[in-house]
Amino acid sequence: MSSRSKTPSIPLDRPVTWEEWLRGRRARRETSQQVAPGMTRRDTGPSDRRLRQFFHGRRGLPFRPTEEL
Amino acid sequence: MKAETVRAALADIAADTDPTRKAAKLASLCSAVFRERGIELVVVGGSAIELLTDGAYTSGDVDFCLLRPAALSLRERQGIMSQLAAQGGPRSWQVAGLFVDLLGPLEGLARTPLRRLEGPYGVVQIVQPEELLVERILVSVYPGPNLAARDCARTLAAVGLRGEVQMDWAEVKRLAGVPEYGIVPECESLVREVADELKIKNPLDSAG
Repeated sequence: MSSRSKTPSIPLDRPVTWEEWLRGRRARRETSQQVAPGMTRRDTGPSDRRLRQFFHGRRGLPFRPTEEL
Repeated sequence: MKAETVRAALADIAADTDPTRKAAKLASLCSAVFRERGIELVVVGGSAIELLTDGAYTSGDVDFCLLRPAALSLRERQGIMSQLAAQGGPRSWQVAGLFVDLLGPLEGLARTPLRRLEGPYGVVQIVQPEELLVERILVSVYPGPNLAARDCARTLAAVGLRGEVQMDWAEVKRLAGVPEYGIVPECESLVREVADELKIKNPLDSAG
């Protein structure tokens, strides 16, 4: 069994536990980056002004690198 | 929820520097506090996509819609959010280093269950990934090409194809075909494209 096949899923028919959700984050991020490598948060949006003011010019906190998830 | 518990939760959330985990914790706390008053919230939009894909997409706000009741007085919103030491309102508040937006009633067509995350302070309800996928495909095509929406749709399709998020593909196909979306060819094309890239059998070939 590969490590990916052990990744907890976000199920349809029951809640995902906090621990399962945390353990699945890295695999989900890797999958996302595989198919959308350039994806980042939008440069602009309806709440731009308040976000940039609050997050010192950015629209949110910096994301954790995949290897740290 | 006791005031002391809320204070400890807010301190934990404020100290968390991981934006996705921080948003999930805040969604959990907000959901719990509203639920105590009989109000059910659902995480929607980019916040929901982030909780489902970890795609490093979300900005510094958490978007909720109301599941029930369909409306909530401004007084009640402000009263509940005051429990969380929130600033601002009546539709958007600053809480523990993020913004919380309460957008209005949930307008969804999906028949699959809301996804549920047992967060540290209470269950978070997340809008169905089937609806998010079809919605993002629509936005990626109309009114004109939108690459950011397309990337979001590709990430949702990919985590669904890999089974990292359980997706009901028959429901995806049905939603793509309802008049409100009407994007069956675009949906089939995008899912096929991502399935081919991941070398996974396209579930839409056999769905529905």
